[in-house]
Amino acid sequence: MKAITQIRPILLLICAGVLTFIAAKEMLEMRKPDIIIPSEGLTQKRKLSDYLNNLLNTNGNSDIYIFDSGEPGANVLVLGGTHPNEPAGFISAVVMTENVRVMKGKLIVIPQACLSGFSTTDPLEGSPQEFFINSKRRFRFGSRVSNPIDQWPDPLVYLHYPSKQKLSGFETRNLNRAYPGKPNGTFTERVAYAIVQLIKKEKINIAFDLHEAAPEIPIINAIVTHEKGKDIAATSVFNLEFNGFQYALELSPTNFRGLSHREWGDATDVIPFLMETSNPIQGRLRGVTNQNLIINGIDKFYNEAVQLNRLRITYRVEGESLAHRVGRHLEAFIEIINAYNEIHPDNTIIIENLPNYGDLINNGIEKFLN
Amino acid sequence: MELELIILFIMLLIFALSVFLFKLPSGIALGVSATIGAILGGHYFPIRHLIEGSFGYLDAILIIATAMIFMKVVEATGALGTINYWIIKHFYKVPILLIIFMSFFIMLPGMLTGLSSACILTTGALVAPALLAMNVPRTVVGAFIAITAVYGMIAPPINIPIMIIGGGVDMPYIGFEKPLMLSTFTLAIITSIYFRIGYVKKINLQDVLSQISEPLYNKHGIKLFFPIIIVIILMVGPRVIPEYIPDIGAPLIFLIGALAGFGSGEKFNFFKLSRTGIIDALPIMIILIGVGMFVQIMTLTGVRGFIATSALKLSPALLYVGIAILMPLFGSAYAASSVLGVPLVYVFLGKNEIIVASALSLIAGIGDLMPPPMLLCVFAAQIVKEQNHFLILRKSIPMIILTLIIGILMIIFAREINQLI
Repeated sequence: MKAITQIRPILLLICAGVLTFIAAKEMLEMRKPDIIIPSEGLTQKRKLSDYLNNLLNTNGNSDIYIFDSGEPGANVLVLGGTHPNEPAGFISAVVMTENVRVMKGKLIVIPQACLSGFSTTDPLEGSPQEFFINSKRRFRFGSRVSNPIDQWPDPLVYLHYPSKQKLSGFETRNLNRAYPGKPNGTFTERVAYAIVQLIKKEKINIAFDLHEAAPEIPIINAIVTHEKGKDIAATSVFNLEFNGFQYALELSPTNFRGLSHREWGDATDVIPFLMETSNPIQGRLRGVTNQNLIINGIDKFYNEAVQLNRLRITYRVEGESLAHRVGRHLEAFIEIINAYNEIHPDNTIIIENLPNYGDLINNGIEKFLN
Repeated sequence: MELELIILFIMLLIFALSVFLFKLPSGIALGVSATIGAILGGHYFPIRHLIEGSFGYLDAILIIATAMIFMKVVEATGALGTINYWIIKHFYKVPILLIIFMSFFIMLPGMLTGLSSACILTTGALVAPALLAMNVPRTVVGAFIAITAVYGMIAPPINIPIMIIGGGVDMPYIGFEKPLMLSTFTLAIITSIYFRIGYVKKINLQDVLSQISEPLYNKHGIKLFFPIIIVIILMVGPRVIPEYIPDIGAPLIFLIGALAGFGSGEKFNFFKLSRTGIIDALPIMIILIGVGMFVQIMTLTGVRGFIATSALKLSPALLYVGIAILMPLFGSAYAASSVLGVPLVYVFLGKNEIIVASALSLIAGIGDLMPPPMLLCVFAAQIVKEQNHFLILRKSIPMIILTLIIGILMIIFAREINQLI
């Protein structure tokens, strides 16, 4: 009897060890970096630590792709992957990086702004760890926030610096609640600070933060901007609607702090824009959670919810495919750049070889990956 | 019948059978039902998802473990007994005031941390012996501290369910103080009156004092309360003066508080006490691990979405009933706020969003009492040394119903309430 009593915990420990080993092996797969193959137009590759030294050798040291025409003109920054569970923002930045040629001005792309968040998934969300585009390219589907390995524990209440706005403790690792950041702050505040330093040092004129949101969030299909950007946003929304794309113009709320469209605009000379597409895998009403939902964006519960008409849901019967969402981001980016060039004729940027919505829908994303 | 409904039904059935027929601990039963749910959903044996889900409440698990050690230390030093003695001695003449004072006292840690469990493990544990000494039945004491803990979590200044909802709908945490204070303080007073009338009989001071331990203040002086004072400073400081006191996290705060117990009062064996504390906390920690697995698999298989969409399908009149039933049944205030709270704010767009979100957080808060995890009931049962935590839930039912009614009325009359306050 005594022997059995002693053997049982040993057996349980062995079982726990085996399960932990299998799970750890699977989780470590998320440490493998995504492959991004930049276009021939790339002139320089830098790291975020070039703008804040203490990010060196950390998971916050994101790659920065610089496409400099050598011709004076506007400087543009594009951020994808602020939230690694919003793949359209990430993939739009990847498509840009792998295709663009800049003929005038300078384009800087950070496809994985919150690099740390790409190395983990959010517990309780049942998320896939990766997705494949046409079986040939593997990309990670990460967490909305930085990996707790890099910043932990969360406080019970997150006090935003410097406004002291209160948010739930989880948001302390949310890059898009951390701006303008702090050079000696938390891991996420340091990443935010480095991005703001980049905007200042590279004299960025216009910056984009590409996002996605759950289909029930009303801000979808809107261009959110700081007061400084309302003329450009209004012109581009008009042009987008003329071309059949429905968009709303939203001004960044002044009392909701930490977001790129508010803090970049307040802390620097840049004109910031944030765009959202409808991403069912983020939604609270979603059904089975898997890779198909990322790629095809078809979900039966969202379809039902739209029919119910109880709340505003941005979801089409044919689903919200990744190609559709990336296409919208690229189309809106092109229109905002056009509007900027129109309003600032003395300081323009010319970007070539960037696919638009039609290209993405007709040929698929894979056509634009190297 | 939809596959998600079948999976949900079987998961709940497996859970019930495991607990009631096979007498498995609730946490293990949740893990077993999650595994069966994953297999039914076509995911075979998704080890990564089960392990990942088990980490969903890691922070809460660490808080519980360290809070238990802290409570064992302040009990051993004599601080707990001394406070208990004082409460009874100073308030016994007016029992209703005593009970109201106790309810606000229990709520305090929840108001400051946003954690209902903190209320039970700290102040709840402080007042429970006093109530028991007044011959209030164990299950009633458990119900009283469990329901008051919910009000503490929801009362301002810190309400994490609202912050979770606000994070989902981009609503800053501003302007919630009045509706939250009004609803929770009123409910706490009604709860106190209810328990006073129902269960607190005439108090014979000498009888009661003779049943509890002697105060040790005269022997040790103010240093007796150093551990409690340090914990309060480290918890409140980061909210009030964040420039000077950093938030080091609740687990570390409780551990520092426990270590501060050395030399503050009666001698104790720290390793023995911490071992006892962890053993006491183990069943609750296992439940949280199981709940994490359960929620992860519900999300993976689409069951979570099925529940959320089903709530939206209810007719406008039934929607209110649905909210009152479905939100608590998530078994966790945080989960209910995230999954149902966010879309429901949009459903009621046009009413006052601040009042609606306050009401939803109140209703979601009841989830911490409800099965399958019944977290607060399990905690409270442990504090009052009651074997069957379902009895705690049973005694809480009248106050649960009242809380849900208040919450629903707040949603219905959100616009009018906003004009009044």
